[in-house]
Amino acid sequence: MSPLVHYFLAFTAVNILMCWSIYLPYRVGQLHFLTVACMAIAAYFGGFAAREWDWPFVLVLLVGIGIGTFIAFIPSLAIGKAPCFTVVIVGLTYVFIVKTVIENWEIVGGTVGFFGIPRVEHLLPITYLLLIIVGFFIYCIDHSRLGRAASVVFVDKDVAATLGVKVKSLGMFYQIIAGAIGGMAGVLYAFLIGSLSPEFFVFHMIGTLMCMLFVGGYTTMWGVVISAPILGGLPLLLPSTVASWRQVIYGVLLILIILLRPEGLITRRMLPSLKSKSKRQTIW
Amino acid sequence: MEVFIAQLLNGLSLGSIYVLLVTGFNLMVLVARIIQFAYPHMVVLSMYACWEVLQLTNNMFLAILSCIAVSVILNILSEPIFRRLTNRESIDINASFVVSMSMALVITDIMSHSLNYGFPIAFPASWVGESLIRFGLIILSKGQIYAFGGGIIAVLIFFYLLYRTKQGRVFRAMAENRYLARLVGIPIVKTSIFSYFIAGLLGGFIAILFSVFLGSASPHLGEFVALKVIATSLVAGLGNLKGGLVCGLLLGVAEVMVMGYISGSWSNAIAFIMMLLIVLIKPQGLFGIKI
Repeated sequence: MSPLVHYFLAFTAVNILMCWSIYLPYRVGQLHFLTVACMAIAAYFGGFAAREWDWPFVLVLLVGIGIGTFIAFIPSLAIGKAPCFTVVIVGLTYVFIVKTVIENWEIVGGTVGFFGIPRVEHLLPITYLLLIIVGFFIYCIDHSRLGRAASVVFVDKDVAATLGVKVKSLGMFYQIIAGAIGGMAGVLYAFLIGSLSPEFFVFHMIGTLMCMLFVGGYTTMWGVVISAPILGGLPLLLPSTVASWRQVIYGVLLILIILLRPEGLITRRMLPSLKSKSKRQTIW
Repeated sequence: MEVFIAQLLNGLSLGSIYVLLVTGFNLMVLVARIIQFAYPHMVVLSMYACWEVLQLTNNMFLAILSCIAVSVILNILSEPIFRRLTNRESIDINASFVVSMSMALVITDIMSHSLNYGFPIAFPASWVGESLIRFGLIILSKGQIYAFGGGIIAVLIFFYLLYRTKQGRVFRAMAENRYLARLVGIPIVKTSIFSYFIAGLLGGFIAILFSVFLGSASPHLGEFVALKVIATSLVAGLGNLKGGLVCGLLLGVAEVMVMGYISGSWSNAIAFIMMLLIVLIKPQGLFGIKI
């Protein structure tokens, strides 16, 4: 497999995981960028543990998920029920603080970066297997009472509360799961790429993930499965002079989609009609 | 003691600029009902415009005019985009935040790619000025005096506009209840556009003060400042103008004090940790939300 295809597939998988980690809290109306901080911490921890302490990949992955869960749990106690705007600022602030700590900590390479993370055999298929497992888990949540409760909370928190939904507990649950997925994505990213730089975990990354989520469609988990490879692959398809402007392209796309089709390209209402179309085709 | 006074004066100068930024941000929140994350990015872009004009013409008056003009134009150009969001049945403040974040991405990337080849800019010494007052370790530069003085004047003018003029009454009426304001005959769209104009004027003025105070700018300056401004606004209470005044000054002083006594690279992180703790403990802000 060529390195280009390898990195494209690697980034697509990580992007889908990270978009899902933002999709889940947004089911209750919270844009939770803290998952990027979880990803960064888990990635650096995973890389350090593997290189310096010779930890096996499975152990690093489990601890990385645990780290992401723990980091998401602490602020969720305060912002489980907070408005979207407060959650965004808490998340962005966390990302900035984590980036500053990494840049000033020489043991993890500081601004130079962290290199030499050991390779894992067949990591790309393992990544996609984990992606399918996480996707199945999210599908089960979406089609359970929790998913239906989240839909009500998204529309109106007060009505949800009167219907007996524990809004704060639900918000905490989604934030913690998102943190866990962020931690997993961080560890996978570290091992797939083999090196880390604090410059990766910045505002641009958040913008890219938001673009993938909102363009694909935030009402369903399938939107990012379509948008992540397409938007992530744009720099490979476009000429290099245009590809270097990809953040402008993402920004403009995001503005257009919010104004013209706020629910994104794949909406929840489309899914039953797509299912029935495919059934009719198989009958014929 | 001299170091403390020097840092305090520096902090008050920086705090004045933050106060203006928070005031402009809160004006958009109250009147236009949007979270304008890209407001500091527009200020930084205005600083770049000022620098370009200075490089081309070396004329300070033209540079100041261009700074203000770019800021006003950018703000007014963004109005139709946000108006589409506020025309829906319920004002979608979260959508406005996403749109403004996208705008911030676009502005930062344009600055990174096409302005000064993405390198930081440095304003000439004639623009920044030399130190005017020296008293032991206390050094006050022209930039600091202008920032502090300009900040006070701008805040006084803004609050006069808001509380002593008819237009200010109209702004406050719209901030209180948009639908009732329409019922009493207040032109919503025209007033909203005017609020963007005022925010643009303020943004241009902030850009001038920032350029004189800092003496330089970089494409990513907007991200740092935006986070601080919005976090300060949250700490004060979203839409709380008076709270924003106090918290903006406190942020400036706290940031400079931390920079003075602890390593500069940690100062930003410590300022954010302090704000984060306040937001987590009191999400409504110290002075209460006003929207």
